[in-house]
Amino acid sequence: MIKVDEKVVQWTKNLTIAQLLKTLDDVKFCSVVRLNGKLISSPKFKTTKIPDNSKIQLLPLVAGG
Amino acid sequence: MDQINLKEIKAISYEKAEIKKGYTDHSLRINLDESDIIINPITEKIKDKFIGGKGYDLWMMWNAVSGDTKWNDPENAICISSGPLGGTPGYPGGGKSIVTSISPLTGIPIDSNVGGYFGPYKKFSGFDVIQIDGKAKQDCIIFIDGIENKIQIFEASNLPQDSYELSNVLTHHFDEKKPVNVSVVSAGPGAEHTYFGCLNFSWWDAGRKRVRYKQAGRGGIGTVFADKKVKAVVARFGAVSMKTNNPADLDALKLVTKAHAKEINELDPKQNRMALVGTTHLIPIMNDHECLPVHNFKFGSHPESFLIGEEAYEHIFDKGFDGCWRGCAVACAHGVKDFSPFTGPYRGQKVFVDGPEYETVAGCGSSLGIFDPQTILEINFYCDAYGMDTISVGTSIAFVMECFENNQITLEHTDGMDLSFGNRFNTLELIHQMARGKGFGVIVGKGIRNMKEIFAKDFGADMAFMQDIGMESKGLEFSEYITKESLAQQGGYGLALKGPQHDEAWLIFLDMVHNFMPSFEDKAEALHWFPMFRTWFGLCGLCKLPWNDIVPEDNKDNAEPAKVVKHVGWYADFFSAVTGKKTDADGLIAMSEAVYNFQRVFNLKMGYGTREHDTIPYRAMGPVTEEEYESRQELYDGQLKDKYSLDISGMDTKAKTAALRQKREEQYELLTDAVYERRGWTNNGIPTVATVKRLGIDFPEVLEVLKKSGVE
Ligand code: SF4
Repeated sequence: MIKVDEKVVQWTKNLTIAQLLKTLDDVKFCSVVRLNGKLISSPKFKTTKIPDNSKIQLLPLVAGG
Repeated sequence: MDQINLKEIKAISYEKAEIKKGYTDHSLRINLDESDIIINPITEKIKDKFIGGKGYDLWMMWNAVSGDTKWNDPENAICISSGPLGGTPGYPGGGKSIVTSISPLTGIPIDSNVGGYFGPYKKFSGFDVIQIDGKAKQDCIIFIDGIENKIQIFEASNLPQDSYELSNVLTHHFDEKKPVNVSVVSAGPGAEHTYFGCLNFSWWDAGRKRVRYKQAGRGGIGTVFADKKVKAVVARFGAVSMKTNNPADLDALKLVTKAHAKEINELDPKQNRMALVGTTHLIPIMNDHECLPVHNFKFGSHPESFLIGEEAYEHIFDKGFDGCWRGCAVACAHGVKDFSPFTGPYRGQKVFVDGPEYETVAGCGSSLGIFDPQTILEINFYCDAYGMDTISVGTSIAFVMECFENNQITLEHTDGMDLSFGNRFNTLELIHQMARGKGFGVIVGKGIRNMKEIFAKDFGADMAFMQDIGMESKGLEFSEYITKESLAQQGGYGLALKGPQHDEAWLIFLDMVHNFMPSFEDKAEALHWFPMFRTWFGLCGLCKLPWNDIVPEDNKDNAEPAKVVKHVGWYADFFSAVTGKKTDADGLIAMSEAVYNFQRVFNLKMGYGTREHDTIPYRAMGPVTEEEYESRQELYDGQLKDKYSLDISGMDTKAKTAALRQKREEQYELLTDAVYERRGWTNNGIPTVATVKRLGIDFPEVLEVLKKSGVE
């Protein structure tokens, strides 16, 4: 199991952030997530695997300076 | 140190104007030539048109200078204002000052939005805006005492040299018992010897019982301040509450303040955690998106960037409340205590460093090839203490380093200093030299535009190469984002009124990551709305961070999430509650549009403000060197083939770099056309008569300036 913004989601082996986002609604503007406290940006979504029992926060649109 | 020496040379007592609905309706002018202290009323007409803040500053400046005024002429003015909403305790970001002057770097008005308590204290002392002009004969200090209703000008001697110690000494001098009542504006030796001097605006950190400061960094206003021989401007005021601004509708103000602060308290921990890490969360994000300047903006990422991002600074920042305005829930103005510099006059002592923010980490870290958080702290500390803008310092030194590595300048020119990327000791030495006004640092302190001339003329450097890699536009050094893959942000920098600072528009993600504005018209629309809305914060005395750095949870469901429409509505309510003038989102844009166009005409009055001044170096558009092209070859090759339908099979890197350049430069021109049209400007970038009439800024002197440029 993993937690995505407080919601419990089924974990599967080798699940990447990109695969996870495909299963979620309203993630059009999600270009950064916090995976177990660490910031991961969209260019790394496909290659970043999510360990079991992870906590993921979807960050809103990046506003910059 | 011995007792400071202050000799009063002029003093007046005054009757403090009552604050009504966020305004005192009075200005204060200090003329240093004659040591005159002049208080004037502000008319309703000016209030309606210029709103406050930057609007008031620009109006005062317009009347102070002629088209021939240079930055170091006595008539050049420094204006400081807050704005009708400034000084609202508890409203996130509700206490900024806006400072303007004719810039030593650009020759046109520069504006800087800064925290600290000065702006609100000055207003509550009776003045919406202050103007300082003329030049003092001796070092002087101006004291605005809103408790005793007295203004004094002192000749000053035996003062600490740097801003770090000066702010501290003056805070205690002017209110030993209640230092929280004092805010000091000061520069430092770096402001005397460089063109990018900044101003430090202080506030008393009650938790840590020490003076803190924030910087009005951009464009060299500190240099103008030092040139006028002003050592400090001090404001003193007592207790502040929501009632101090005498809002039209206190209940409505409380309601909107509570809503915005509550949302930030709830959501910041789930979003960017700015109360913990400030803006350093942007380092890993920009790095991963190839937008972090590395080696003078040549590259957009570096494997060691994790050493200087939020993961490092979260543990280094001192824990505690860090709001640069009272009760600001974002509280992102972090600092580091007991830092011990390893160079310079504070070597081995323990100091408090205010910062660093993202811009300083990127500009004085990654862009210089420095990935050591301690060195960045030391650069941050000395730039502030010396009164120098960390953005211009970082971007200028990055330029020098690339010139050095490309043999455009050599050891012979740098006093024997190896200025290769990553050389942290010589970076610090350069900064000390700038502050002392000695050695090669004197040349670097003149900024990139001047360095290009000097390097070409005196050192035989290649001007064309330097034009491509020197990250300045209008004479101002770029702030710290790579824009190569975002045409909209290239416009956000190049078409900004004062030069390439991101506070007008930050569109990189909307454009590059989300492809939210595919057409030129879409980009032009964004380059209209965002600069206008961001300008509004400067009119009212607010910080923009609480608008879009923490957003409502349902923001993504909105058709235009980047505008954070719910917050825009709150700002309209905030304005209505304080001023009693009912407004809405469109009303906020209309306020800004008048001032924005006035500033563009002001640029024209000063001999700039046309298309030829809206250009950017090619480094901001695409890869200059073959090494740079090859670092992202797959991306660039793909664009040449797919986007521009070119057959690149027989082309070498040099030919491909040139082909890409031609396309990208064409795109920038097309974008410029579209933006000018959307803004109601001629194809040469000048507001038309119809535009200034529509906005109600068709004053005779404005029409005269347009006429001189052939616009009738
Ligand atoms: S958001 Fe940060 S910079 Fe803005 S007023 Fe608050 S503490 Fe200061």
